[in-house]
Amino acid sequence: MAETHRIEVTVNGLPRMLEVPPHHTLLDVLRDDLRLTGAKECCLVGECGACTVIVDGRTVDSCLVLAVEADGCEITTVEGLAQDGSLDPLQRAFLDEGAAQCGFCIPGQLMAAHALLAGNPHPTVAEIQEGLAGNLCRCGSYLQITDAVLATAAEGTRR
Amino acid sequence: MSATIIGTSPNRVGGIGRVTGSQQYVADLRLADVLEARLVTLDCARARIISIDASAALALPGVRLVMTAADLPQPVPRFGPQLEDRPVIAVGETKYHGDPVAIVAAETKDAADAAAALVRVEYEELPAVFTLAAALDPAAPLVQDPALRPGDRLASTNVLREHPIGWGDVDAAVADVVVEHTYTFPMVTHFAIEPHAYIAAPDGDGIAVWSTIQHPNWLQKVIAKVLGMPLAKVRVFAPDPGGGFGGKQHAKYEPLVALAAIRAGRPVRLVLSLEETFQAVRRASCEVRVRTGVNRDGALVFEDIAADYLIGAYADIADRVVGKGSYPAAGPYTVPNVRILARSVLSHTVPSTAFRGFGNPQVNWAVESNLDEAALAIGMDRLEIRLRNIAHRGDAFIPFDTPADGEWSQTVTRAAELIGWGSPLPPGRGRGIALGIKSGPTTGLSYSTVRLLGDGSVIVFAGTSDMGQGARTVFAQIAAQELGAPLDWVTVVMGDTAIVPYDQQTSASRSTVLMGNSVLMACRSIQAQLRTMAARLHAVDEALVGVDRGVVHLPDRDLSVIDVLKPGLGRLGGELTGNGEVRKDADPSHPLSGAPAFFEFNCTAIEAEVDRETGDVTIVRHVTVSDVGRALNPLQVRTQDEGAAIQGLGHTLMEHYIFDEVGRIRNLGAIDYRIPTSMDLPLDLVSETIENADGPGPYGSKGMSEGALLCVAAAVGAAVREAIRVPIRDLPLTPERVWRALQERETA
Amino acid sequence: MHTFAYVRPTTVAEAVAILDAGGRDARVLAGGTDLVIRLRDGSATPTTVIDLKRIADLRPGVREEGGRLTISATTVMTDVAADPLVRRHFPALAEAAAVVGSVQIRNRATLGGNVCNASPAADTATPLLVFDATVVAEGPGGTRRIAIDDFFVRSGVTTLQRGELVTAIELPIPAVATGSAHVRRTRRRGHDLASVTLSVRVDALGVTRFAYGSVGPRPVLAVDDTGVLADPAVPAEARSAILERMFADASPSPRSMRASPAYRLAMLRVLGARALRSAIEQLAAGSD
Repeated sequence: MAETHRIEVTVNGLPRMLEVPPHHTLLDVLRDDLRLTGAKECCLVGECGACTVIVDGRTVDSCLVLAVEADGCEITTVEGLAQDGSLDPLQRAFLDEGAAQCGFCIPGQLMAAHALLAGNPHPTVAEIQEGLAGNLCRCGSYLQITDAVLATAAEGTRR
Repeated sequence: MSATIIGTSPNRVGGIGRVTGSQQYVADLRLADVLEARLVTLDCARARIISIDASAALALPGVRLVMTAADLPQPVPRFGPQLEDRPVIAVGETKYHGDPVAIVAAETKDAADAAAALVRVEYEELPAVFTLAAALDPAAPLVQDPALRPGDRLASTNVLREHPIGWGDVDAAVADVVVEHTYTFPMVTHFAIEPHAYIAAPDGDGIAVWSTIQHPNWLQKVIAKVLGMPLAKVRVFAPDPGGGFGGKQHAKYEPLVALAAIRAGRPVRLVLSLEETFQAVRRASCEVRVRTGVNRDGALVFEDIAADYLIGAYADIADRVVGKGSYPAAGPYTVPNVRILARSVLSHTVPSTAFRGFGNPQVNWAVESNLDEAALAIGMDRLEIRLRNIAHRGDAFIPFDTPADGEWSQTVTRAAELIGWGSPLPPGRGRGIALGIKSGPTTGLSYSTVRLLGDGSVIVFAGTSDMGQGARTVFAQIAAQELGAPLDWVTVVMGDTAIVPYDQQTSASRSTVLMGNSVLMACRSIQAQLRTMAARLHAVDEALVGVDRGVVHLPDRDLSVIDVLKPGLGRLGGELTGNGEVRKDADPSHPLSGAPAFFEFNCTAIEAEVDRETGDVTIVRHVTVSDVGRALNPLQVRTQDEGAAIQGLGHTLMEHYIFDEVGRIRNLGAIDYRIPTSMDLPLDLVSETIENADGPGPYGSKGMSEGALLCVAAAVGAAVREAIRVPIRDLPLTPERVWRALQERETA
Repeated sequence: MHTFAYVRPTTVAEAVAILDAGGRDARVLAGGTDLVIRLRDGSATPTTVIDLKRIADLRPGVREEGGRLTISATTVMTDVAADPLVRRHFPALAEAAAVVGSVQIRNRATLGGNVCNASPAADTATPLLVFDATVVAEGPGGTRRIAIDDFFVRSGVTTLQRGELVTAIELPIPAVATGSAHVRRTRRRGHDLASVTLSVRVDALGVTRFAYGSVGPRPVLAVDDTGVLADPAVPAEARSAILERMFADASPSPRSMRASPAYRLAMLRVLGARALRSAIEQLAAGSD
């Protein structure tokens, strides 16, 4: 068995101390150790985006990040979007626009969209499509996902 | 409460779980004491297994099981929805790249990975066939043991079955112009973002199986038969699949995992990688030769169609795909003479299976493209030739089958309007229009139970799988509509064969129609009980009581359901229960063993621009119009329609398996198997519906989830052809292929 | 994934010592977008993985000094693409960094990693070639500055020696006005590995530098100092002979499934012409 490393991470606002073997990815640790199964496992080569989480403010494919690399980082997963049981505006917009069909890609889409809006509160359609191109949706809900991001951006302006 | 919820688009039932990450897909479930399993496969397609040595693997700490064919009951159980030809694990010989020879199970994923790599397999690679030409060569090695098909004259060939259908007399028919071409359709895969996953756990004297399956009841039967258990001892849990598209219809590795769990005496979990999923499911590739006979006035005289589908090493449901998919190949036209011969051809490749469109997109690509060639040959507009020949409502366009069940010309006309058919085009652009038709379900059996609880809330039990199409929402809408409960007072229970009554399957865009009618029937049964109750409570003749949309109408006043239910149930409370049963029995006299419950009809129109230097195709505008009867949930209808359209763009523009010379998929995985991203969409995607409430489903609905995929390739191909003035008859229309076509024309 | 020892040195010297001791069994981890895939598929089986991200001297960033831009090897593509200095002086590099993978990939993939993988299709290789970049390597023998054109050997192989790691990429800020562009061919519009990459740079002195990748074992640099290519007034026929000479070193593999050699070679010419037009326009606009 491989030597493990002690890492300290903050996941969805909660500090966590974990023992991880070096070859386990952040996705493995989120899903198997922390039981946060919102981030999904699909391609494992950084192509599909189903495992997208936010590390220190930036989206990553968590299948390509070793958990030990995340030591000291702040991590946000889809489970961290809703606050006190009420949906984040982006989640609400995904629901209202019908962006989730089978739903499997949606946690990744949400994290990518969340980070996009944090950096660019008023993206154009082209910017959304480019910003979310790393998140495949085989149901083909791309237009609804784009609409949800646009609606969230507009909502943000009104508030 | 009289407002209708039918025809509105409430938030998806199950949507909260999907946007919060709390939705539990199979791979997200945790069972105590579960062993992690991995498959052991060989690095080639067909091989004779000489020996398997598991000793090194078993010596690893944490490894609990290595199971091969030798460890199973003999003969090794076989299963399959059409032909029981697939062994639960390779016996003696692997038949395709990815065919597992062993399964390992260990305490951790790491141990399972390590063990799988340590299973030593000695094998001898054998000659194999990966293409139609090779498989049909008289000297080709046989994919299937002829003993599996006793008495079949084709058993000594790689042709699994032939599907001839037709009417009139093609040979005698005389047409002014005959156009003949051959078209090919690539081997593509479903690429549901959720890879397939299975868990099996011994459960007392029975077994529990969790699967990403679309047909839990069918799986229950397979497991029961393989394990020799009564159905009541096999409990299948089918959490909502993360995308199905047909790939998750039938059992794959569930029997193997179940046997492993029994042998280990513990739960065993197998989550496939995306690569393994590519090696588990795909669509049949196809070569179609079409001869179209047409008169100068545009009247179609004959269609003569020969379609060879390259299916895989085991039949799965592939032969049914071939038969049913090719059956309406002549299209939604009145053609006096038709001859179709489709063949399912076995090969040493991944077993092909159902995939949205079910064998139809392959022939549609060929026949609709050839219709354009015919129009060109007689100098007729491509829209005009379609409208000239289209079947109108009630026309027996397939003479021995259900007549046209919609006024399809409406759909075509609307699509033509939306694409601006006939208006001037900028240089470098072209337009195409194509019609798609698919036979809906030919048999079906959907039971449901609806419980109206004492407070007026409702539980619907329906065995449909909600894999994104939104069946859960539609059933909840029906129950809410009929029983007067607010939508959020309705719970829909699916995916547990121990609790939910039998449903044959979730496929062929059937669920709104078949299970929808079943749920409606269950609700109507409850309404009848409410009538009786109201008549008793208010001492009126039952015949004078009506129930509609959750309102109980008495001769002198209206009451809400709850005002009848509460006093009617009395002090002990309780509930009212209704059952639904929709049965569409097989008809042995019908070529498909049953006339379709409805036709899915779609018209797709495309405007495309081609970069003549690079061959890039840009879809400037993509119009899809589907005849849906009635959209019970317009937003879900639109997302299914757009989703089908975008999926169709995949096989049209970029998707295909690429094999090496020993039958391995070279583009195995997401890096080199490309599907459309958010940047690969049409610049403008328009989805509309035609709604005449003329379908057999609740409130006049029809099934609709596949229509918009059927004719994407033909419509895009036609647009590209007009833009570059060169026909391309092979898919996908990659930039390189388009460029090459232009080069060849220039050098010709 | 097989396991390995993970080390996180805090100084370059420490990293070099571990790398030198490990030799072929040690691998450097920067962004991991390539290495983690290879660790998982078994095509890389190091016993030691050396994470560079906690070395103070290798902090990501771009700085300008002495007439050149120094980009730390650990700078991720997102930051290379967005950096104002890179965008001002080396637009083709910014364009190339902006098309590497998806946002998620660009948030992790580093410039140093892209260069060290030496993929023939590496997007940043071609702009670095046209901008005459220097790879700064630290090793047991001290610091070495390697001209980028002397760095690439073939896919996965560079002229780095045992124990050496790349710490920075240096780019001389052009002394005269330049225009540049980066273009590529892919199988779809969404992120994809390129079947042709090409960068071009023209300058006010009439020198045109082309670099192209994915059409041979390593990216290729070709220079025209006749002034013909940079001059938009020169007729097409006069340019084509020179262009042909520029692209003469392209030798795409017939084994690739991403595109055939014929298509790659044809696209090299199409992309070359298009990129040259953009670069000339940029040069003209910049000198207004």
